This record gives sequence, C-alpha cells and structure tokens, in this order.
Amino acid sequence: MSPFGALREQLLDAATAFAGAPAALPGILAGLVDDVDRALAEPLEIFPVCHHSPASALAMVRRLREKQPKVIYLELCEDLRPLLPELRNCRLPVALQAFATDLDGFPPAWGPLSMVAPITEASAEYQAISYALETPGVELVLVDRSSDHVFQWAPKPETETEATGHGEEAALHGDSVGVEIGDLRPRFAELEEHLIHHGKVRHWSEWWDQYVEQPLAGADYDTYRQVMVLIGGLFRRLRPGGGDRPATDEDRERYMWTRIREHLAASGADPAECLHVCGAFHAASRVEQFGLASDAPYEISPRTATRWLYGLIPSSHSAIEAQFGLASGSVSIAAATWAKAVARGGVTPFRLAGRPDTRKRPARAGKAAPVPRTEVTDRLSGFLSTPPAVDELDEAELLGWSVDIVRLARRNGYLASTADAIAVFETSLLLAGIRDRARPTPYDFQDAAVTCIEKDVVPGRRDVRRLCEILLGGDRVGAVGYDSLPPLARDVYDRLAPLGLDTQKRTIQRALLDLGADPELVPCSDLLWMLRYLLPPDAVRPIMGGRRLGERSIQESWDLALGRHQRSLIELGYEGVTIEQVLEQRLRRAVWEPAATAAVALAAVEDALLFLGGKRFVDELGARAVELLAAERTVDDAPEVLRRIRRLLGYYRATGPVLPAWCEAFVSAGYAHYCTLLPTAFVDEDTGVRQVGAMLGFLFTMESLALALGCDRAQLELAVRQSHPEAPAKVALLWAAQSQLGVLPQAELRSRCDELLANPLVVPSFPLYITGFVQALEPAPGLAGFVVEVISKAFGRLPDSVLLPWLPKLITMLRDQAGELVPVLVREAGRTFPGTLAEVDAWVPPWSARPAPEASRDPVPAGPVTGLLVAHPSALDAVAELLGCEGEWQDLATDEPDDQEVRALLSAHPETAFAVSALLG
Amino acid sequence: MTDDMLRAPAEVKYAEELEWLESVDDGPKPFSWRLSPRMVRLFVLGSERSDGLDREIPQKWFGDRSFVERSIVTLASDRGLLLIGDPGTGKSWLAELLAAAICRNSTLVVQGTAGTTEDHIKYSWNVSMVIAKGQSRQSMIPSPIMTAMEQGVIGRFEELTRSTSDVQDALISILSEKYVSIPELDDDNIVFAQPGFSIIATANSRDRGVNDLSSALKRRFNFIKIPVVTNKRSEAEIVRFRTEELLRRHNIELDLPPTLLDILLQSFADLRAAAASATSDDEKLESALSTAEQIGVLEDAILHSNFFGDRTLRAGTLAGSLVGSLARRTPEDLAILNKYWHGVVEPRSKQDGGEWEGFLEGGRQAIATLS
Repeated sequence: MSPFGALREQLLDAATAFAGAPAALPGILAGLVDDVDRALAEPLEIFPVCHHSPASALAMVRRLREKQPKVIYLELCEDLRPLLPELRNCRLPVALQAFATDLDGFPPAWGPLSMVAPITEASAEYQAISYALETPGVELVLVDRSSDHVFQWAPKPETETEATGHGEEAALHGDSVGVEIGDLRPRFAELEEHLIHHGKVRHWSEWWDQYVEQPLAGADYDTYRQVMVLIGGLFRRLRPGGGDRPATDEDRERYMWTRIREHLAASGADPAECLHVCGAFHAASRVEQFGLASDAPYEISPRTATRWLYGLIPSSHSAIEAQFGLASGSVSIAAATWAKAVARGGVTPFRLAGRPDTRKRPARAGKAAPVPRTEVTDRLSGFLSTPPAVDELDEAELLGWSVDIVRLARRNGYLASTADAIAVFETSLLLAGIRDRARPTPYDFQDAAVTCIEKDVVPGRRDVRRLCEILLGGDRVGAVGYDSLPPLARDVYDRLAPLGLDTQKRTIQRALLDLGADPELVPCSDLLWMLRYLLPPDAVRPIMGGRRLGERSIQESWDLALGRHQRSLIELGYEGVTIEQVLEQRLRRAVWEPAATAAVALAAVEDALLFLGGKRFVDELGARAVELLAAERTVDDAPEVLRRIRRLLGYYRATGPVLPAWCEAFVSAGYAHYCTLLPTAFVDEDTGVRQVGAMLGFLFTMESLALALGCDRAQLELAVRQSHPEAPAKVALLWAAQSQLGVLPQAELRSRCDELLANPLVVPSFPLYITGFVQALEPAPGLAGFVVEVISKAFGRLPDSVLLPWLPKLITMLRDQAGELVPVLVREAGRTFPGTLAEVDAWVPPWSARPAPEASRDPVPAGPVTGLLVAHPSALDAVAELLGCEGEWQDLATDEPDDQEVRALLSAHPETAFAVSALLG
Repeated sequence: MTDDMLRAPAEVKYAEELEWLESVDDGPKPFSWRLSPRMVRLFVLGSERSDGLDREIPQKWFGDRSFVERSIVTLASDRGLLLIGDPGTGKSWLAELLAAAICRNSTLVVQGTAGTTEDHIKYSWNVSMVIAKGQSRQSMIPSPIMTAMEQGVIGRFEELTRSTSDVQDALISILSEKYVSIPELDDDNIVFAQPGFSIIATANSRDRGVNDLSSALKRRFNFIKIPVVTNKRSEAEIVRFRTEELLRRHNIELDLPPTLLDILLQSFADLRAAAASATSDDEKLESALSTAEQIGVLEDAILHSNFFGDRTLRAGTLAGSLVGSLARRTPEDLAILNKYWHGVVEPRSKQDGGEWEGFLEGGRQAIATLS
C-alpha cells in the first residue's frame, strides 16, 4: 500500500463519518480538489506549512534554495517584525512576546495582556526568517493581524492556553496567549478522536507523524504542497459552524491578503518572486479576498490605544507542548527528526549568523539560478505509488538508540544489558511491522524500550518512557542572548557582574557576599534585595542574611536562579529601564490603587526605606499613608497599622534627631481618627476584639507623642465613656481601658471578675472576657499581673466543660499574636509563679494572700481635722448626698502603737517640733 | 461442542472465527503461528471497516491497543510475556485470547499456588508405571509447559508470583536454553522446545513482595502492566460484553437497562475516587473495584432477579448485590458503604430521581441486613 493510500483512506473515512449525510460526501471531495486547484493556481506562490513539522521545514529549505524569492510574506503578527533580527542573539527555542499593561480599549480585568509566538529551529518559519534576514535584498513581511487584533478578536482571554504544570520548563510561557504559524489540527474533538482511533495511534502528534510527516519527508515540492492543502481543506470543511473561531480564521485570511495586496501595490514587487508562507488551513481559504486577482474590500479595524511592548522570552519544547496541547515529547521528536534529516545531507538549512551556539557557518549552497515555477501538475491522483526506499541510516540509527537507551537505563538503576538492546531493536522492528509502518518511528522505539526494559518497579527517578524522551533530544530550553535583552535585564546582569558568577546559567548558583571585607559588593546586595522583592520567590533566595528596618547583615549568601527565571526578568524590563524605577513605580502604584489602605501605604514606606532610601519618595508615600488613614472608615487594618507605625517610629527615633513630618501627622491623625471610631468599633459586631485592642494600643502607646503634637486627652476619655459594648470580650477590653485611664481601680476590676466567676449563669462566657483581657495586654501592659491572675483563676475555677473547649482557642489566639502578647504574659507569669517545683507546695497566690477587702481598708488616721469632722458629720453627709455617694463613717483609729510611739517621742523631745513650728511661723 | 462445556476455552468458542481469519490471512507468520501478528491483534481487538475484511470481528478484550501490540510482539521475540496488574483487569482473558489466536490451544496452563512444585513445571512420574516398567518416556508425565515446548505452542502460567521463588526459577532455563533435560533417563533425555514455544505468565500486582521474581527471571520476561480501566465508555463496553455472554450461557432472557448500567459504573467510579483519596487501608474497600468486580455484581443481580425476582433487573436488586459483593469486612467495608450511600447516593437520588431512588432504598436495606 502506498504511503499516501493510507492517508487518503483515513481522510475519506473521516469525511464520510462527519459529513452528516452520505450525499454531502461527493460535495466535500469535489470541494477538496477545488481547494487544491485554487491554492495552486494562485499567481502568488502559497507555501502551506504545519507547525513543528520537519517535513515543512525541509520542503521550505529546498524551495527557498530553488526559488530564491525576493519577498516573503509570513503568517505572523505584523507588529512582531522588529523583533526578528534579535533572534540572532538567542538560543532557540525562544518566544516572541507582545506585552501590555496599560490597557486602553480592553476590559481592565484582562490585563496584563501577554501573547507569545514560540519559534523552534525545526520549523519552516524559522527557515524562512533566516533566509530572509541572511540574504541581502530579500524582504520579510509579516502579514497576520497585530497582537492588538489577537485580543480584539478574542471573545475573552483564551483559557485553552493555560500552561498547566508539567514542571517549571512547561510553565515558561506563564499565562500568555499563544499564537503559532500553521496551526493544522482538526477543529473539533470528534474528528481528531476518529482519526486517532482509526489510525491506530495514541495521540495527534503520532497520527501526524505516521500519516503525513513520514510520507512527506521525501516527497517533492508539488506533492508536498498538494497534500498539505488537501489536509488543510479537509479540516476546514469539517469544522463546526458555530463559535467565533471560523470567523476569526476568515478574518485573519482577509487581513493577510489585504496586507499582501497593499504591499505589492506599494513596493511594485513581482508576485512571481514572492512567497506566501501560511498554515495549510489558510491555504485552502475560500474568503472572497483570497488571491491577488480579488479586489474585494476589507477594512482593517484600527488598533486600540493600548501601548504594546515587545521582547523575546526563553521558551522550551515542553512549554510549547503544554501551551498548544501537543503530546509530551512530540516537539522534541520533531526536533530530532529535523536534525536527522539535516545530518543525512541533501539540504543545508538556513541559520541566522551570530547565534551563540552556531558551530560553524554552513557553507552557502552554490547559487543556482532561480528556477521559475513550472505548470502545476496533478500529483494528487498518482500519490506516490512507489514505497519509500528502505533507508540504511534508519537501521543504524535505531541500533544506536537501542544501545543508548540501555546505557541510559543502567545509569538510572535498571538492570539492563546488551540482551535488552537486542530485544529493543528487534521489538521496535516487530512493532513497526504490526503497525503498518515501513520503518520504526520514535514512538515505536519508545514502546519497544518500555516493553523490554521496564519491569514491575521503577528503580530511580525516571521511568523508561521518560528516558526515551531524554534520549530523543529531551526538552530543550532556549535562552535569550544578552544583546536582545531589554535594558533593565542587561543592567541587572551588569550590576551583578562583581559577584563573578555566570548568572545566565540555568542552574542554581550560590553567591557569597562578605560585605565587611568587600564593601564594593554592597550595591550587589542592594540589587539582590530589590530583585527578591520583584521577582518570583525562587529566582533569588537569601540563604543567610536578612534586611529589616535598621538592620543589615555583614555577610549574605544567596541562591541565584536568574537563568531559569529569565522570562520574569524580561517582563520586568517592560515596566522600566532600571530596577529602581520599576520598584518605585510599583510602590507608587500600590499606594495609589483605589483599594489601598493605610497599612499598605505604611508597608510601601517600609519597603521604600529598605530598598530605595531617598527621603523625598518616602515622604511622598508617608503623606499618602496619612491621607489614607484619615479617609478610612473601617478599622480592620488597625493591628497592622499599629505594628508598622511602631516599627517606623522606632527606626526614625534611632536614626535621626527629629521625626519626619509625615510621621507626626500620621500619629496625630491616627489619634483623632481612632478616638472618633472607638465607640462604633466597640459596638460594631463586624469589628473584632483584636482590632479594637489594636486601636486602644495605638491610642495609649502613642499617647505621649500625640499629646506633645497638640492632641487632647479629653477626646480619648470621652470616647471611652461613650463606648458601651455588649460582647463580653469587648466589655473586658473596655474595663481594661478604663483601668488604664484611671477611671476604674484594679480592686474594682478584680471584684467584677470574681463576681462573674461566682455567677453560674455567666461562667460559660467567662473565657470571652479573658480573651478581651489578653487583648488588653497590648494597650495596657500594666494590667499584665491582673491578666495572669484572671487566667489562673479561670484555670482553677472554671468547670472542665467550659475550660477545655476554650483552651485551644486561647492557644491559637496567643500563637497568632505571639510577637506582641506572649513575652509580656510569660514574663509576668514567671514573676508570679514559683520557679522551682519545691516552692509550689508552699506557694500561695499573691491575690489570695491579700487580706479581705474590709481589713485592707486603710485605717483613717486620727487627727484634729478628722476629729472635727467626726464630731460634726452633717456637713459631710450633705455633700455626700449631693454627690450621690453612699458611705458610712469609720471608727477612728484609736490605739495605734506606731502613733503612740511617735507621740511619746515627740513629747519627750519637743525641740524639733517647736523649731519646725517656729520655722513655719 | 461448546454446549457441553460450562465455559469453553477461547479457541473452541471462537473456532469458526479463527478458521476464517486463518483462511484470509496472507501476512507473514512467525514460527509456527497459526495467524500473523496483525491478525492476532485483529482477533483480540476486533475489526474496523478500514481493515477491509468481509465480516466483522467483534472486539474481545478492551483496553489500550498498544498493550496488545506489545504483547504480540513480545511473543514473537524470544522472551516470555508477563502480564501484571490488579485483580480483575483482564490479564488472564488476554492471555487466553492470545494463546488461542496464536496456537489454538489456551489450555496448557499451570496455576501458580503456594503448593506448586518444580514437577508442575517440568515433569513428574507415573509411579505405578515406573514400578512396573521402569523410568521411560512412557512413564513420565509431562507438565503443561513441557507439552507446550514439545508442540511449539504457548504455555501459560497463571499467578506466577503466588508460587515460591525456587519454583519460579525453574522457568529460567526453560526460557533461556529452551530445553528441559531429564537426567533420570539414559537416552532421549532432553526435551527441546519447538519453534513457536513461549510462555504467557500473569501476576497480580497486589501480591508484590510475597514471592518476588528473581532478577534473572525478570530479565527473561517482558512486563506489560495492565491498568484498571477507568475510561467509562470502554468500561461500559466491557461490562455489557461480558454480561451478554453470561446471559447467553445461562439462557436468561432479561433486559439490561442502560440507566442501571450507568448507575453501576457511576457508583464504582465514585468508590474508586474515594479509595484513591483514602489515607489508610481502613478507609478503603478491600475490593480492588476492578471491572471484573462490576461484572460480578451485575451477574449476581441478574441471577437473583431471574430466579428469585420477577425476571426484571431492578435498581434495588443491583444495590443489594453491590453491597453484598463489596462488603467483605465488618465493620470497615460496611461503614464505607454506609457513608457512600448516605453521602453520595442519597443526594443524587434526590437530585436526579429515577432509578437512583430504587438504588438508594435497596442499598439501605442491604446494609441494614448485613450490619
């Protein structure tokens, strides 16, 4: 059976299965022939390609050498054209990227927009680009819609292109939208499934390889073109009618042909000397704008005002596979097939000069005279009746692979031997035979290796299937050369040069910075800290050393993986020219966002101080923080605000004689702000006790500074008096605040708590009170002793049914705020409780040792005034009644021994007393 | 002939089909194979229109095409084939089909057990004949494997890992030297394998570690792992195929409603998902939840409704069979099923209604009876 016989049968089968009614079949078949006829009759030569197809690339090389066109029209976003010369500096695969953050004309939720077009070496488009750029006098014109149109025509940001984790190489493109040249694949799943099922293969790439790639590898140009257009036409005719995709496809064709006609009219080039490279799908187009003869108008919609930035980012085979839904390893296999075809000779591929890994510049093929295109002959009907010649090299290659895979397997822990190599070789041939293949494909070889070498367990990290992928080329990761990097990335590399590391390498590198010994490394350290802030967490990672306000390490060590995160660095380059500028922009953007809060602004101030210094910028951010605080209507961020402003105040006090103006403004604004919000916060159910605690903390701990700045304490006292919380925790917090303000004596507080504990109706909610008291540790550290006392009492007296469910909550609360609460509490507990076990038995808690309240009352000292008042109590009783005080008269202390002694002493030696009275007059 | 047997081996059951395939087969045949590798594949996986045959060959084994191809190719090479997988994944059925297609004899089987000895693999003696006539080829009882060697056909070894390591190792020389010597005899004391001889062994991956294969033996086998079928469509096909066969065998006229088949597949899929996310063995059903298990459940339900019911398969009966087959340990398995019934089946019956309601009720009753 001829190689194309199988293909034809497959396609016809598919056409019958999906044409709907049998009557539609002749229509489709006739249409397919028409498509081919039409595409080939076009005066402008159309070169149909398919992505990642070595056959396309080979045919391209041959055709370019033969025809030597003067103008090449390429199906690629037209605005990417300036990037192409930069490919010289890169190690392929890389992706051309268009990137936009300032959206104008797109929904803001789409941003940032990112589009990538990966370029591999084994692709027809790379050959066309290399030819055009390396040959003087050849013009390369990109004719597809611009990146802007890609998104304009997209119904919504495409989700299909999400790179879903196959490791980090697969995620190289991030969440960019991918575009490819020559996307040739069935447009609906059933057709693909049908082809795969009937083709007896596992996935689309294998189908393509077996039914198109291999037969086409040695085909002549006419056959190649006709077959590609035929397949394109079939997929085009068998696509679902609905959806936006067909409309987009046709719009793109209209766009391309309109651009081509425009260019031809403007440049006056001879269509016979031009070549239009486009996907086979588009070659079989039926839009009315198709062809040079057509003059159907098409108005290209204007681009939006979005500002697009362009650059190159590294790509990898696995990233391409993940992005475009290809089988794992298929791009690598395509690359291997291409390399094999090149090595076999017959074609000299085009390469861009100046590529970093170009070993030697390939000899230019002798300049043959351009061959004019002859008449189109019908190659389709006589599809390759001769089978391809059995290739000697294939057997040698398979033998090589078989030996290599055994060696690789041994290195990975398999007990493989030469016998296995023989078995793999034999099995590959047998498998190819059973699968109707003239010679084993890499897929057969992979299956054979798995059959013969894989046993019940995988001894190492990689199984045989993965080892085969590695053997067949593995994943190749591209890199963008230094010269093609944006200025920011180049700047970063330059500034890291003193470290003496090759930061472009993909391995993780350890940098050791002894800043004491080498002060010239300080700028490097600064830069690394900024990169850590801006790049993903793994790109630069400090192993030793830290940077906090007022704190710098003298030695640092870093793990640098900049080579692996080149894309992130390049994308930073779209935001500015230097890292400092990007950081400044980011911080400024953060504080001016509509959702920004005072805490965010304080964080930005802190980051600015840490990374940028610069008083003017810090002051600007600080002023914004004051603004934000004054405008805030919630107190959700109060704990964060308190923590940050404390830290900043500590820093400023330690480093300068005066506080910056914004700090003072912040404290006084905060004092007034929190005083105003306090009563509502106390009653508001949505405001947590922690937030109220932090507000009180701000008010009490910043009080002295605020008062010095002209705030009024009465405001706070009034605010506390206006607060009438109902939740137990907040009630406790209020009591603590009152006690701190001196309104509520501690004895009163203690008796209230004892009452609560004694009341069986309140006992279940007592833990909530404790929560409030614990939160009060921050605003009123003086209460620490009391808090320890309350907790101890609770532990002692609460029933287990109340205590035990609450304990975990207490622990989690303490853990959440370990930094602020635990040291105070632990210190106080250490002071209260005995230090050794022996003392515990004899220990009496200080609060129970206190005498009863009656006894604790200070005896009223006797004296002339007291005597007088006791003798005539009516005046005082009246005053007491007026003030609403209840009380009773105490007995006068009569016989106090101390007093007696003093009196005796004074009576015995009255001189001193007389002298004093004389002095006082 | 098939009517006389409770279960006819594949070569008898599909005799006519194999004859026909042999008559149209013009491909190259390795050794003494009766069919070419391509035809073997076609016999196992069924024909398609593109194969250009005059009659349709039904699919007999459901699974990835490449497994079958790799198995056939292995048998054509000089290595043995070891099918390894969870119980109920169709290993033995594939082995039987391959042996039937290649040499029309799938009955040369050694069953590996803890009691299997080397005699079962090589040969043993008819003691009374030895006493009467002395040791000779006539008084020797060849094992199925030795018979396969002599005839140049496929020998099968079921549950290879159940037999002890020293017994397994008796296969090493058979697979590499391809002969068995009989030192007790003075002449004619070597049995050489005829071309076409190979061994298909099966092993249960759940038994791993009981009697591990020696590396020398591993080297002589190509391992093909057969995974549990999780593709719902192909699983439905398998269950339907096997159940229809069963109905034919029992001469039962009973409709298999597609909704019930869906319910069965869905509940197995749910239980598998639950087992996959379980962290300890106690949270997992003891059953491997294989396709064979599903067929077993369905078979049970069909027989039950045929003989004790109203000759219609009902959701309640199916649920009862499912619980009865899967609840092996009390209380662990019952607890899992109870959780499944209340957590998954109940909401589903409320939402979807239909047969799920009967399924819910039947399952509840069955669980109540067992607990």
